[in-house]
Amino acid sequence: MSRSFLFLPGNNPGSLQNLDIFNADSIIIDLEDSVTFDTKDEARDLVYHFLSKFMFKTPSIYLRINDISTPFFNDDIDVLDSLEFKGYVLPKATKESVISLSKKTDKSIIALLETPMSLVKSEAIISLKQVDAVLLGAEDLTTAMKIESTVSRQEITYVRSKLALECAAHETLFIDTPYTDKDDLAQLKNDCLQAKILGANAKSIIHPNHVDVVNTVFSPTTHQIANAKRILKKAETHQKGAFNLDGKMIDKPIINRAKNLIAQAKKYQLL
Amino acid sequence: MNVSAGSYESNDCLITLEPAAELECIIHSVVKEQFGEQIELVLKQTLAGHNITHVKLVINDKGALDYTIKARLETAIRRMRDLDE
Repeated sequence: MSRSFLFLPGNNPGSLQNLDIFNADSIIIDLEDSVTFDTKDEARDLVYHFLSKFMFKTPSIYLRINDISTPFFNDDIDVLDSLEFKGYVLPKATKESVISLSKKTDKSIIALLETPMSLVKSEAIISLKQVDAVLLGAEDLTTAMKIESTVSRQEITYVRSKLALECAAHETLFIDTPYTDKDDLAQLKNDCLQAKILGANAKSIIHPNHVDVVNTVFSPTTHQIANAKRILKKAETHQKGAFNLDGKMIDKPIINRAKNLIAQAKKYQLL
Repeated sequence: MNVSAGSYESNDCLITLEPAAELECIIHSVVKEQFGEQIELVLKQTLAGHNITHVKLVINDKGALDYTIKARLETAIRRMRDLDE
């Protein structure tokens, strides 16, 4: 259960050494897009020696490896899989590539869905046992669809809703696409709120400036926590069926939601 | 022919290797006065782990930690061996 997944370039020792100061719940060390073709081996060696030397309880560490169509996919896994980290982010994920990766590792997998076909077939990917989360890659998706990536994000409303529904059905985390303007924190907040309203559980981040906003939006609010406490307190005295609170009917799904919210609040040290 | 790995970025180092008649380590570092001996130790231990004794190694260090120096040297060694093949 993480709110924020911060990408850091895998071939940059300065970033790696500071990965625990950014306040992100999870870090994704990137061996793919941020690493040039001729330095893939450098990055892999650096990450190998970094993770051999340093261990982290928090934040959770994921590695974005290179996709299965590249000559680097097998090397990334063969060299790095024995190290201590939580899981892989698999770019351009398909059902077949997730299955191939899951045959080579027991670690968890975040499927990065960023092609039109992967979104068409997303439920088949989300339902796979080793997929703990899906991450929407909207930039690659909109490029492939030849549509503009807008500030309003209207163009990804459908795919956000689709993934949110499918992830909820399979109890899988849905991580929203990153916001790409590193300085526009007001619009970042709007973007986070839109994603959260549609059902995203967390957001990926490509600049440390964004961590605080993302953590705040994806945390329970003070009002939500207070309301959940009231629901749970009243539920203790109403052992059977539904009851009324402030004119609203409270039943089992709402009680369960309140329990989940309190659990989240405890995890994020908001209680 | 020489090979390199790493960069001049802060916290990193650039290591260059070329075949030589004997082992020679040339260290340029912003922290050579404080850590020059430790840098040399990491370099020589890593080379010894690969049984490399005839090489000229130049390191331009911008404050890299031991794990970075070792990683960059491992990459350079592999690249040198790939060239030989």
